[in-house]
Amino acid sequence: MRSDESIAAIATAPGRGGVGVVRVSGSLVPAMMEKILGKRIAPRNASLCDFLDATGGAIDRGIALYFKNPHSYTGEDVLELQGHGGQVVLGMILARCIELGARIAEPGEFTRRAFLNDRIDLAQAESVADLIDASTASAARCAMRSLQGEFSEKVRDLVSALINLRMLVEATLDFPEEEIDFLAEGDAVGKLGSIRDKVNAVLRSAQTGSLIRSGIHVVFAGQPNVGKSSLLNRLSGEEHAIVTDIPGTTRDVIRQSIEIEGIPFHIIDTAGLRESEDPVEKIGIARTREVIERSDMILYLADCSRGLDEEDGKILASLPGLPRLIVYNKADLSGKPAGIEMDGSVRLSAKSGEGIDSLKSRMLELFSLHEPAETQFVARQRHVSALRDADAFLEKAGKATQAEVFAEELRLAQDSLSRITGEFTPDDLLGEIFSNFCIGK
Amino acid sequence: MEYHGLLDSTIPRAMHPVKFDVIVVGGGHAGTEAALASARMGRKTLLLTHNIETLGQMSCNPAIGGIGKGHLVKEIDALGGAMAIAADESGIQFRVLNSSKGYAVRATRAQADRMLYRQAIRRRLESQENLWLFQQAVDDLILEGEKVAGVVTQLGIKFSSETVVLTAGTFLSGMVHVGLKHYQAGRAGDPPSLSLASRLREIDLPVGRLKTGTPPRIHGASIDFSVLAMQPGDEPVPVFSFMGNAQMHPRQVPCWITHTNERTHEIIRAGLDRSPMFTGVIEGVGPRYCPSIEDKVTRFADKKSHQIFLEPEGLDTNEFYPNGISTSLPYDVQLALIHSMKGLENAHLTRPGYAIEYDYFDPQYLKKSLETKKIQNLFFAGQINGTTGYEEAAAQGILAGINAALRSAGREAWSPGREEAYIGVMVDDLVTRGVTEPYRMFTSRAEYRLLLREDNADARLTEEGRRLGVVGEERWARYCEKREAIERETERLKSTWVNPKMISAADSERILGKAIEREYSLFELLRRPDVEYRALLELDPAGMAADSEIAKQIEIQAKYHGYIERQEAEIESRRQYESLPLPADFDYRKIRGLSAETQQILNRHKPETIGDASRLSGITPAAVSLLLVHQKRGFDKEKLTA
Repeated sequence: MRSDESIAAIATAPGRGGVGVVRVSGSLVPAMMEKILGKRIAPRNASLCDFLDATGGAIDRGIALYFKNPHSYTGEDVLELQGHGGQVVLGMILARCIELGARIAEPGEFTRRAFLNDRIDLAQAESVADLIDASTASAARCAMRSLQGEFSEKVRDLVSALINLRMLVEATLDFPEEEIDFLAEGDAVGKLGSIRDKVNAVLRSAQTGSLIRSGIHVVFAGQPNVGKSSLLNRLSGEEHAIVTDIPGTTRDVIRQSIEIEGIPFHIIDTAGLRESEDPVEKIGIARTREVIERSDMILYLADCSRGLDEEDGKILASLPGLPRLIVYNKADLSGKPAGIEMDGSVRLSAKSGEGIDSLKSRMLELFSLHEPAETQFVARQRHVSALRDADAFLEKAGKATQAEVFAEELRLAQDSLSRITGEFTPDDLLGEIFSNFCIGK
Repeated sequence: MEYHGLLDSTIPRAMHPVKFDVIVVGGGHAGTEAALASARMGRKTLLLTHNIETLGQMSCNPAIGGIGKGHLVKEIDALGGAMAIAADESGIQFRVLNSSKGYAVRATRAQADRMLYRQAIRRRLESQENLWLFQQAVDDLILEGEKVAGVVTQLGIKFSSETVVLTAGTFLSGMVHVGLKHYQAGRAGDPPSLSLASRLREIDLPVGRLKTGTPPRIHGASIDFSVLAMQPGDEPVPVFSFMGNAQMHPRQVPCWITHTNERTHEIIRAGLDRSPMFTGVIEGVGPRYCPSIEDKVTRFADKKSHQIFLEPEGLDTNEFYPNGISTSLPYDVQLALIHSMKGLENAHLTRPGYAIEYDYFDPQYLKKSLETKKIQNLFFAGQINGTTGYEEAAAQGILAGINAALRSAGREAWSPGREEAYIGVMVDDLVTRGVTEPYRMFTSRAEYRLLLREDNADARLTEEGRRLGVVGEERWARYCEKREAIERETERLKSTWVNPKMISAADSERILGKAIEREYSLFELLRRPDVEYRALLELDPAGMAADSEIAKQIEIQAKYHGYIERQEAEIESRRQYESLPLPADFDYRKIRGLSAETQQILNRHKPETIGDASRLSGITPAAVSLLLVHQKRGFDKEKLTA
């Protein structure tokens, strides 16, 4: 929330091809410019530059634009780096900005700064609310998803070790008469060391991304025999089906993963959502529902010749309120032309492949509309930066010579981690103390 | 606040005025601090108590201070309050807890002579200008619409006032439990407040029930001290008040330590079927950190022994307070469990232990000035806000007293921030988070713990206290003198340099731990963890006595320097939006970007500032962003919130 901090974000929607933009705003911009571009560039001039990494090697080559305050979108110094658009490259540019002291922008933060610095007028400001709300919701979904599975387990394990250490330290400080002197008996150093090992292990795996999922989840639904299988085959046949191991889900939930312009789309089949008495199947159904709740969009397939009937209405009503894309299959049989309709729905023929490109472009469009800037990648960057911050405090804790200073660094480490795990209040900590020690007179 | 001679009836010996500025109901730790603060500010103040003899009564253990609590006492003192100096005048054993740890977590604790403490408080009340005492229980509040205008006593006497501070402690619908027997009382030996309690329930303030307890008392003549461990006070004897000194202390006596054992625990377990706690008779929630002995034995069954402190109740009494065995078990079980402990085999109990249930009001319905949001000019302080402890009560009392006085004078409300005082931490916790059990202060509640120390309470609050009008001439003069001395000496240390040419490597290594390789100021050297002020005197004999308050304060500041700077930077960055005001009567459902849940939270709490809103549980950074945007636009512009 600090407005003296510099913030960075990928400003273009992912997967749109062509140009991708990383935007940085704040007082660090002039200094960062020198590092990333190797020089200062004149305001308001497009300069063709190499974007450099820490070793001076080029990450990408593109256009750099510098806007000096207050003549910028946010009213602060702003640097825009227009690269080649791929998620990986943009991610590296963003990571470089963060390495140089910026932090990842909160949802809507550029717009908020613009408003607070009087850079946008009242009418524009009215859209701020919606914007922040929409991007917050998608960011929350991203964060939740990336916390599934092994990554989340490791983070939780790490946090509980930290809580345990804090509990001992705080109990020693707040209850000196209770015959608990943890620090005197002390394995504080050992415990701290093992926590730092855990942080570093999680950090390593988070950086390689092996524990964090990425991509967009699409619920694929429709009545039987409308051609779901053939559409899936068509989509995957053309794009090489990717088989991935995705932590926290099972193969039977994800039917298929396809990639459109570099964005992985995980197709979740609703076929498993039938009434069942079988206990094993019931677990499967619950799991499927969970995944559906956390999805990004719904792809609903109907028969072109029938349109949406009562049964379709029932199925749609049972699905969560996510962005929807209605697809009418069997265009070839109806004789109607394939393509995008006025209402945004897509008519196609899975059999002939006609209209498939329209579907793909609509999927990208719908996705980018509802995922402004906040991608899995960004969510992962947030986790990484939280873990790094925590580690820096833990390192300082290791150097503390006094108990209350040790405690202070541990508190700040946990504050950093709470950006991943949610708030942990002093009262929560006291709760831990009281349930583990018999305290009080 | 300005008065010119006797005509203004500012001397309590004169007849009381027709209308008071502030009426304080209740004469416990909250009420007495509230009344004294308001009167110090020159407001005509009435203190109503059901019994003048029990003004300043310590209902539970005879001690002031401790970790977190001592911090509060020093803050009350920095604002000119009575608690610290009364402890200095009545303390019979003083200790500094955590003295082996850093200054931020050190805390003073005094065992007090109950009677001397009451006298010290009463003497201050009786000699305070602008303060009238009157003995009558209060039965009703006089309301004018949504505003309080006075009180009605048990005899139907009406007192009118601008403001009322209610500090009813555990008296509201108080219910005492001993075993399965129970009766209505404010505490043992005092009647409960029933009419007032039901009146407050009628006003529809959100009320709940809490529980607390106290141990039986023991006659000292029946304790075998020869087999007990003695716990003497510290030497040199600590002092509580900025204005106090060790010569004020009465004779010092030790405390004693015994332990529960497995037989004690068996006796307790055998009595649980007659425990009001374990049979569900008591519904109120008790504090987790101050559990009854039956609670401890049940919840921590593997712990074979608990430490019990035997604390003297005073110099002129032989009663002892066994700290650590608060209980509401039946009397026969109490007797047996006491007798099972070493040194207490033949103990005579002078009073049974008991639990008490009482009404409290959800503090989330208070402003930070401790004024109720519902009834204007009505302030709540102490246990009725869901806290426990004399210090917590007194701290709220002084704050409520100050704010009632400010209101009656048409001045703006005041409340310290979380970065300024433990009082600020407590009030912020109470009004933004509410309570689920009696709230007690701990240092771990303060995120700026390294800034909020006992040793700098004066520097944090005395200037503000002076501006408010609660700090008198003498304290102010002494404070200014200390502040200037610290500034002078700090400047001198910063501008006195030593270099390797002036001092031999051997000396430098001996004095500083390692030889200096370049020029340093004395202040820089003092920042090293292992260099004490005392050592600097060897390099520079012009310094002051190393044990002076000034030298100590400079040394502490130097040692925490880096951390203090970091915390101050954090505070500064928050300040940008921390105090931006939010409207009291705005319907947050009008902000369409907020989720329904967020709207509900904001509508329920009606936070006073953006900072307050940000600390409510369930408020996300994005919601704070939205509030910032709306705050800037202005909440009243209908068009913007369509």
